[in-house]
Amino acid sequence: MTHGSGRLDLSILGTLYRYELKMLLRDRRTILIAVVAPLLLFPAIILVMRMAEERNREALEATTFRYAVTGSQAAFARTLIDEALALPPDSTGDDGAAAARFAPGPTGEPDSLLEAGELHLIVEALSAAEYRREREAADTADHAEPAAGGVAVPVLRLLYREDSERSSTAADRLAERLRDVRALRRDRILATRGLPVAPAAVASVEPHNIASAADEGGALLGLFLTPLLVLLLLSGGSIVAVDAITGEKERGTLENLLTTAARRGEIVASKQLAVITVGVAITVINIANLLAYLGIGLIDVPENLAVAVGPVALLVLLLLFLPVAALVSSALLLLSGYAKSYKEYQIYFLPLSMLFLLPAAAAILPDIELRSVVALVPLASVSVAAREVLTGEFDWPFLGLAFVTTSAAALWAARLTSRLLSTERLITAAELERSDLIGGPALFPRHVLRWYAALWGVFIFVSLGMAGVDVRGQAAVNLLGIFLGGSLLILRRYRLDPREALALRRPPAAAWLAVLIGAPSGLMTALGIARLLTTILPVPESMKEAFGRLLLPEDLPIAQVVLFLCVLPGICEEIAFRGVLLHGLSRRLSPVATALVVGLIFAIFHFSLDRLGPTAFLGITLAAVVMITGSIFPAMLWHALNNTITLLSAYYGWWPEGGPPWWAYALSVVGLALAFAILWRTRSPYPGLRRAKRPEAAAAEAAPAAP
Amino acid sequence: MSAPTPGVPPVEVERLAKTFYDEGRGEVRAVAEVSFACRAGEVFGLLGANGAGKTTTLRMLATILAPTAGSARVMGHDVVDEPEAVRRNLGFYSASTALYPRLTARETLEFFARVNRYPAGAVAARVAELIDRFGIAEYADARVEKLSSGMKQKVSIARTVAHDPPVLIFDEPTVGLDVINALAMQQVIGDLRDEGKAIIFSTHIMSEAERLCDRIAIIHHGKLLATGTLDELRQATGQHYLEDIFVHFVGGVEPMGRARVAAESRRP
Repeated sequence: MTHGSGRLDLSILGTLYRYELKMLLRDRRTILIAVVAPLLLFPAIILVMRMAEERNREALEATTFRYAVTGSQAAFARTLIDEALALPPDSTGDDGAAAARFAPGPTGEPDSLLEAGELHLIVEALSAAEYRREREAADTADHAEPAAGGVAVPVLRLLYREDSERSSTAADRLAERLRDVRALRRDRILATRGLPVAPAAVASVEPHNIASAADEGGALLGLFLTPLLVLLLLSGGSIVAVDAITGEKERGTLENLLTTAARRGEIVASKQLAVITVGVAITVINIANLLAYLGIGLIDVPENLAVAVGPVALLVLLLLFLPVAALVSSALLLLSGYAKSYKEYQIYFLPLSMLFLLPAAAAILPDIELRSVVALVPLASVSVAAREVLTGEFDWPFLGLAFVTTSAAALWAARLTSRLLSTERLITAAELERSDLIGGPALFPRHVLRWYAALWGVFIFVSLGMAGVDVRGQAAVNLLGIFLGGSLLILRRYRLDPREALALRRPPAAAWLAVLIGAPSGLMTALGIARLLTTILPVPESMKEAFGRLLLPEDLPIAQVVLFLCVLPGICEEIAFRGVLLHGLSRRLSPVATALVVGLIFAIFHFSLDRLGPTAFLGITLAAVVMITGSIFPAMLWHALNNTITLLSAYYGWWPEGGPPWWAYALSVVGLALAFAILWRTRSPYPGLRRAKRPEAAAAEAAPAAP
Repeated sequence: MSAPTPGVPPVEVERLAKTFYDEGRGEVRAVAEVSFACRAGEVFGLLGANGAGKTTTLRMLATILAPTAGSARVMGHDVVDEPEAVRRNLGFYSASTALYPRLTARETLEFFARVNRYPAGAVAARVAELIDRFGIAEYADARVEKLSSGMKQKVSIARTVAHDPPVLIFDEPTVGLDVINALAMQQVIGDLRDEGKAIIFSTHIMSEAERLCDRIAIIHHGKLLATGTLDELRQATGQHYLEDIFVHFVGGVEPMGRARVAAESRRP
């Protein structure tokens, strides 16, 4: 069926959108809870907190802190305390009224009095010898450090309770004053012994911040801007989203809407616009609200905080947040379509929010740059991009990449929602398709992408934990564990015939010749593509160096390097990508689309941005080889040769300085064309490939699966 | 709106089938190769017990379920290939659906006329005409949530015909209605038939089918067992009353269904 296709009729879309908003605005309780309540509650909470804080401060000011002095050096301690409490106001950190607020407490057992709150502080004064004995008995690691610099002076230990604010404040204040007294006494001794300058002038250190207030503000705002906006969009958009499909299902209005002449695409687009409108409106209201509180001083601003966002930065930020709003709204609508009831929506909302907030908070991670694999992660890329823009960095190609990845995710989510609106589970209890029930090979093509998404997650997770492992360990885990193990698991789970799914067939003899010509030519062509891409997207030196280190482990014999980096990838990666993945995708997509998607997924698994282009090219080429020869074996050899040539040339330094001349690339293209000409002439096509169909035939075939 | 093609019935259904797949029940053939046609100015009754496949058949006609096999056309448009064109020519009424509670009656009619692509310039006049025809002027500007069930029923029928479609589907429209409202509903359907609409009317109530339908199809376990006018069915079975004709075709009464069929067939 063609529910989602066709041009959108703007007048229909406008009507749907207008009525969607009209119905929402008439829902007074929702508006009250979603918009008005936070506007009133937020300042109320702040006011109550400030009042509590003020009362607490007043109570502390009015407190007389009661202390007791114990230990063999109590007399010395009392002198010191008297001196500390008598310090003039301007020489201390507090308000100088401390003397009046400290008084000796009741007599008795000090520990129990402190426990009971009768005392706020115990000053235990130990002689140097006592202190040393105690330290030796404790036998701590820092035992070697001589107490009090090895000089025989008494030590004052302040005993307090951290769970009592009065007790901890008393300890803080007295400790500060005692340190001041110590400094005064030290200075006096130094002066008496003839130090010619003021002690503060000796090796004085003065840190000087050269960042402007705007830089600091930008860096701080950059950390929290994306998660804050995503949170507001999620909570705001959810008000409409939950009603948009789940609500229609619960009220019984969805069937009426779906039997109108409106296209599914129009319905989804209008609902998505409504979600975005309300999400953005609530975000704007809340931010204006926040700014208003900052303006009237209800919320304290960090000292000297300023954010200077120029018009270009503002425009870039707006552009970056457009796909974020679209992605959030699509995901919320998807959830709304998936949930059978409000209750179910609410259950799923929290995990969905976490799923969004985690990547949105990527900017908080230290040392994360946009010019890394993060540019490929939707939302996380925008988070890091926004931080960089706010600190005045504009890495245009990667800003573009962040925009594209997040937009692609938003489009994909919107498409899923549109398809969901066309599924029958929206109005019937039957949720399954035939393949769901029967399982096995028929189900795999529908599940293939989710399997590879899960494998990618495992791959990333494992890679992060293998930083210190050498190539042998990495090969064993990634190639044998994830790629081969994952493939075998899929074969078993879907009862796939390994000969068919992995294309384990004898290829035409000429295919081997084609591989011998094609592998070096393909590699050279891929390098040419990489060079071309580098002129558009320069790769930092640090990245190249890291890659070189990874590829050339110096402490391994060359035979082992070839085994782990060339032969095993040739076998295991081919089984995973040109075997199982290609088998699943080829039953859903046209051959050209299959090759492109296989290549792209293969590249994404290689986790390196600078190699994305060449790796994708290799993946596409190998997919084409398998589909033309109908066998995985030539692709295995091609892949192993490709890696071997790359590795050996780097190992023995075969590459000329500055790269091969341009004519070499041209020659490689000819070689590649020749290889494919040979393959094509002796082709033995991959079984089960979808042929290009006439539109009506394709529509008829698609109809039962996607109403 | 598509113009009717002379000699071609507005609704044609050929060997239409629908199979569901369910974790608990496995493969369920809800509709098995059903064929019928509905002509303009005719009420075509789909008579069957609960779960017979009536609603599934009508939902396939309304393009919200996809047929597993067979084909169906509404005003010449295929339900699979041209779903939007089908829906533009169709009004779908089901007792299990509801109206938007926060819209007024007038807004409801306007909304459905517009999204069903009724000419924009004529929407206001059409809405006024519907308000007048269905006697909802008094509460036209009240929100639907404030209306009584009788009032809602009128608004629902008006919204079904808001875009003046040539084909109307009424899926068990009298379920849950009291006698007066059920009779009023039948009256409206009769009037729409007289205006030349092709109407498919599903019910499990024998008296309703007998009173209203020009032709009746008996559907049981997803299969059409018989189609014809009441007289044709009487002649074919030698039975006079529709419930006896029904029992004749379905081959007796299942133990769980006996009480229900008996209760429904009791005459006033």
